[in-house]
Amino acid sequence: MSWLRRLIYRKKMEIDLDKELRFHFESQVAYKMRSGILEGEARRLTRLEFGGIDRIKEDCRESRGTQWLESIVLDIRYGIRQLRKSPGFTVVVVLTLALGTGANTAIFTFVNAVMLRSLPVSDPQRLVVAEWSGRNRPHHLGTSSFGDCQDYQGMRSDCSLSYPMFQQIRDQKNLFANAMAFAGPVQLDLSGNGAATMAQGELVSGNYFETLGVIAALGRTLDSEDEKPGAEPVAVLDYGYWKRAFGGSPIVIGRTLRLNNSAFTIVGVADSRFTRLTPGKSVDLWVALTQGTELGQVWTQRADANNWWLVVVGRLQSGVSREQAQAAVNALFVNDALHGAKPVWTAADDPHLWLLPAQQGLTGIRSEYGKPLMLLMAAVGIVLLIACANAAGLMLARSAAREREMAVRLAVGAGRQRLIRQLLTESLLFSFLGAALGALLAYSGAAGLEAFFSKNAYSPLRLDLEPNATVLLFAIGVAVLTGIGFGLAPAHRGARANVASELKGNTASATGHRTGHRLDLGKWLVVMQVALSMVVLAGAGLLLRTLNKLHSIDPGFDTRNILLFSINPELAGYNKKQIPDLYANLQTRLAALPGVVNTSYSSDAILDGGLSTEDMRVEGHADKNTVESQMLSVGPDYFDTMKIPVVDGRVLAESDMSSTQLAAVVNREFVRKFAGGRNPIGLHFGGTDPKDPQWQIVGVVGDTKYESLRGANGPTAYVPLTAGGATFELRTAVSPVGLMPAVRNVVHEVDNNLPIIRMRTQSDAVDRLLFNQRLVARLFGLFGALGLMLASIGLYGLLSYNVTLRTREIGIRTALGAQRRDVLVLILRQGIVLVIVGVALGAAAAIGVTRLLESLLYDVRPTDPFTFALTACILIAIGLVACSLPARRATRVDPMAALRCE
Amino acid sequence: MKTEDRFDLPQGTLDLLIMRVVSLGPIHGYAIAQRIQQMSREALQVQQGSLYPALHRLEYKKLLAATWKPSETGREAKFYELTAKGRAHLKTESENWKRLTELVGLILKGTLEGVS
Repeated sequence: MSWLRRLIYRKKMEIDLDKELRFHFESQVAYKMRSGILEGEARRLTRLEFGGIDRIKEDCRESRGTQWLESIVLDIRYGIRQLRKSPGFTVVVVLTLALGTGANTAIFTFVNAVMLRSLPVSDPQRLVVAEWSGRNRPHHLGTSSFGDCQDYQGMRSDCSLSYPMFQQIRDQKNLFANAMAFAGPVQLDLSGNGAATMAQGELVSGNYFETLGVIAALGRTLDSEDEKPGAEPVAVLDYGYWKRAFGGSPIVIGRTLRLNNSAFTIVGVADSRFTRLTPGKSVDLWVALTQGTELGQVWTQRADANNWWLVVVGRLQSGVSREQAQAAVNALFVNDALHGAKPVWTAADDPHLWLLPAQQGLTGIRSEYGKPLMLLMAAVGIVLLIACANAAGLMLARSAAREREMAVRLAVGAGRQRLIRQLLTESLLFSFLGAALGALLAYSGAAGLEAFFSKNAYSPLRLDLEPNATVLLFAIGVAVLTGIGFGLAPAHRGARANVASELKGNTASATGHRTGHRLDLGKWLVVMQVALSMVVLAGAGLLLRTLNKLHSIDPGFDTRNILLFSINPELAGYNKKQIPDLYANLQTRLAALPGVVNTSYSSDAILDGGLSTEDMRVEGHADKNTVESQMLSVGPDYFDTMKIPVVDGRVLAESDMSSTQLAAVVNREFVRKFAGGRNPIGLHFGGTDPKDPQWQIVGVVGDTKYESLRGANGPTAYVPLTAGGATFELRTAVSPVGLMPAVRNVVHEVDNNLPIIRMRTQSDAVDRLLFNQRLVARLFGLFGALGLMLASIGLYGLLSYNVTLRTREIGIRTALGAQRRDVLVLILRQGIVLVIVGVALGAAAAIGVTRLLESLLYDVRPTDPFTFALTACILIAIGLVACSLPARRATRVDPMAALRCE
Repeated sequence: MKTEDRFDLPQGTLDLLIMRVVSLGPIHGYAIAQRIQQMSREALQVQQGSLYPALHRLEYKKLLAATWKPSETGREAKFYELTAKGRAHLKTESENWKRLTELVGLILKGTLEGVS
């Protein structure tokens, strides 16, 4: 521990060292005086012999092991003193760096949560998930999937498997220590805990928790007994949900809840660390998958080998490699797929079952948000570069003021290496202060971003945004890199101070050779900032133009002033006969609300993320062939409410809802594609099965967008809604948001046990479809503006400094008759040239990189000249403003004062 | 008055000289420099710039120990003396040096004879 003691006694050691050398010095002086030299002369000679005394001290310190530590402590102290000496400068640099590191850390927190964080279960490396693939989509198959795996190439690969297949995999005891399966989450109507709410429930095998190695925080988790048919229905709560919905009360254990109207007993709460399996998916509670039918989930048929609905995750037996296990389960899978009771593929389809590491295989929201997040990461990286360039520019300007200090330190024997280290320590101090402040920015930034994500998610979103070691390392890494990045050039420059000319007090050197170089570097730093801002802003511009174009698409109905909310009475226990009455009742009551113009309901809202299509035959249209049409079940007044124009015939009325006549309405595109030039009114269409209803067309309406704003309008058939859940549409005369509480009240008055699912406006729903564009556009805009602001500050600083240096020259010019305008132009020109060079370089770089945005763009080329020109104009205009301030100051230079100050 | 060494001391030699001088009894830095100069018949002059870092290095390696004591002039000075470890080190290093110089001498002599 002696180095530590030395560090603590550093002061004493410094005093000792000083004393020791002084003793030597005095002895030598005394020796010289004894040989008859006068004291003054003796001292002078001794000083000459000694050379730089600080150099000797430095070498002495260095020959002890603590040198590096001691000097770092010294450097840091010295650095802090420097920072406090110029608080204004410190604040500007620290803020600049805080913006850069803060933005980076915020985005990285998201990247980490979505892409990098390892599964919060024990030993996640041994977990594998099964994923199948084939050249064509499988036949004779019912599949359900919940976005756990990336859905490649149109249903040619996924990770849902049948229950029998899961059992076969689970039985491979020599390969898997354990294998579990899950499906969901499904929306469950939860009552028995205050007002009825919707909960996200996942159906899991009994050994789900055991396989993952997740224990219970309270009570117990599920076990294999719970999976047996006929077992008592039990549920395990998610820790976060338990805290939110039950206030973390321990007496929930043993309580009975009603889920979709059947009773379940709460047996436990899962461990708090178990926050998710698939990134982004939020689960409130788990029930055994054998309870699927109890919960009204008809797709949870276990016996059917052609019903694929379970994601299978196994824990490899120790000593078994993923490849070994894969070979074995692949053989089982391929055999079943090709030679089962109802083969789903032929050998030519080349089916495979892969075992992927669960961390990679369970993608969840990664597949949707991965790309935009990478783009954002690139954008914040650019912002960080701009911040570094800006800080470097500021440091460089300041190093001019410190040139004398550097020269003095060199003269008294400090090594240039040592000076560089000192200067780097100072810049690292800046960057760590910046990073600390940036962490606060990152925290609120990430929270804001999460709110933006959540607001736009169809189902509750769960992101692990708590900072972990990865985020911390990232922030520290960024701080170190920025510290070195922006400190290196000024440090190098500073250590090259010219001792002789500085100490001679040569102020003329300020306009001399070296300063010219410094300005050069400063200029390039500004050019770089402008260029990088141009890249980000051009990206933002392209996306804004895309959004503009998307918004100007005519969806075929009026999206303004529509309020939407969904309900699912079946889950709350309504039977088929009660539902039409409920809907009619709700429709009447809602329509009576003040501010509501019209009300209707439909199976789905259009432009809301859903789409339902059906294979059908249309009378007279190549009778053998089926066609695919979009379908929507609607209530009365639907077309009036949505303001979809009626083209021909009539729309669906109240009487059509229960009529046996099976009236339907189709859109123009349907007629164009399938009616073959005949009068569509009276034509029949319907499903391919003889039992399917055959509808008769009674009217034709205008085309609308359905699934997305992009692409052409598809053929759509509208039939009366008689069963299932519904989304209500309210056309309002006032702001739809203001009506939300009144609408809630009406629904609660009708039935307190009927939870409302997602109340939103139609314009929000449309915005949601454009989420990725909006996200990237917004943040690119924000980051671009940030970059531009920093670049303007850099430009302003550079020119101000330059004006100060050229005060004398400007004074002489003015004295010789230069007009204010001449001086103004002189300085403005200098600045604007930099901006133009930056814009040109930035535009060239942007042409190279905006291609990465292509998949987000609509009707805008990545090199759209209009966007580029506009962005360039904005940059130049703001550059002019930044230049004009120092330029104005230059015009106010008093020639007399300027010349006298020499 | 010249301040540079008459000879360039080979790497590590200074440490050996210092330890040898210190082995004669507790002594401060200035006296070490003087003593080396005297003992080399004024041929070697040790610069402060190399002496003190060497002293501190040896102290750090625990080959020397130091105490503050009044000097002959009455002023406090830092006196160095050999530690047990230093003594052993000096012994082996001196023998190594002796062997090395003998061998180098032998080779130089042989070469010279061969050449002449």
